[in-house]
Amino acid sequence: MFNKTLLALSAAMIVIPASAENVPISGNVESKCVITTETNGVYGNPTPSKLSTLPADGGVVPIIRFDVVSANYYKAVIATPNDFSASPSLNDVVAWTGTTSVGEVSDALMSAYDTDKVVYNNYSEFDLTIAGSTWFKAESTAVYGYDKSFPSGNYNAVVEAECIAL
Amino acid sequence: MHRTLIFTMLLGLSGYASSHQFTPTYPEWESSYSPGIVQTTMLLFNSREEISYYEIKVFDEEWNSLPFAGAGIANVMYVPYLDRKFIPIYLREKDVGLARYICSRSKILAGGVQASQVSSRICSKLK
Repeated sequence: MFNKTLLALSAAMIVIPASAENVPISGNVESKCVITTETNGVYGNPTPSKLSTLPADGGVVPIIRFDVVSANYYKAVIATPNDFSASPSLNDVVAWTGTTSVGEVSDALMSAYDTDKVVYNNYSEFDLTIAGSTWFKAESTAVYGYDKSFPSGNYNAVVEAECIAL
Repeated sequence: MHRTLIFTMLLGLSGYASSHQFTPTYPEWESSYSPGIVQTTMLLFNSREEISYYEIKVFDEEWNSLPFAGAGIANVMYVPYLDRKFIPIYLREKDVGLARYICSRSKILAGGVQASQVSSRICSKLK
């Protein structure tokens, strides 16, 4: 009899803490910007003097996604390349052109970013006035000298994507 | 069938995408254990598989770099893929009025194989 009572008490002591346990899950939402590289670019070489990320030239356009949790907290600044980060030795000038534009959007109103953008040198600035995701395409073209052939080798360039708090 | 296909495609895309987060958006200085020095803590999350190093910098309104401590040698931090790192930033008290931005920039290793890579930089603002 005593043994049975003792066993029952012991079992209850083991069970009670488990049944009373609460597992809290907490979280908070704060304004933040997330830069996501959706696609790294690839230069196509349609002519000996030209490197281009345009699909028509055999390239791949880099795509960068900006996610902002709250509207009007950040601006996106995207710079297309104006120099190679790695290349064979070049003894003539390279003419760079680049364009940044809005690709896909999570909110239809974001398409206004393209018309409202500020462009200077190789930079494009977009005020992120709507919460959500925006996909930006950064096209880049490099032309070597006057119809000169690029020396053979690997060419790398960097697109700079910045998210700056306002 | 279509839903399954779309979900699978999204899952594939999310696995491919890689991102950089730097919070809080508006950090605030607080006193540190050392007199004349203030500190704040930033959080960096790296889900860019090809990036392991981030440079941290403090700038004034005109984007001039200000001296600070706490972000490792040469202000470059090693943040492995899918890791989250708290970064303490120590600044001289006399520079508090000057400091306007704390930025993190991904560092691309020389000799990368992609022809056109993306360097990401996120700047938080000190108000």
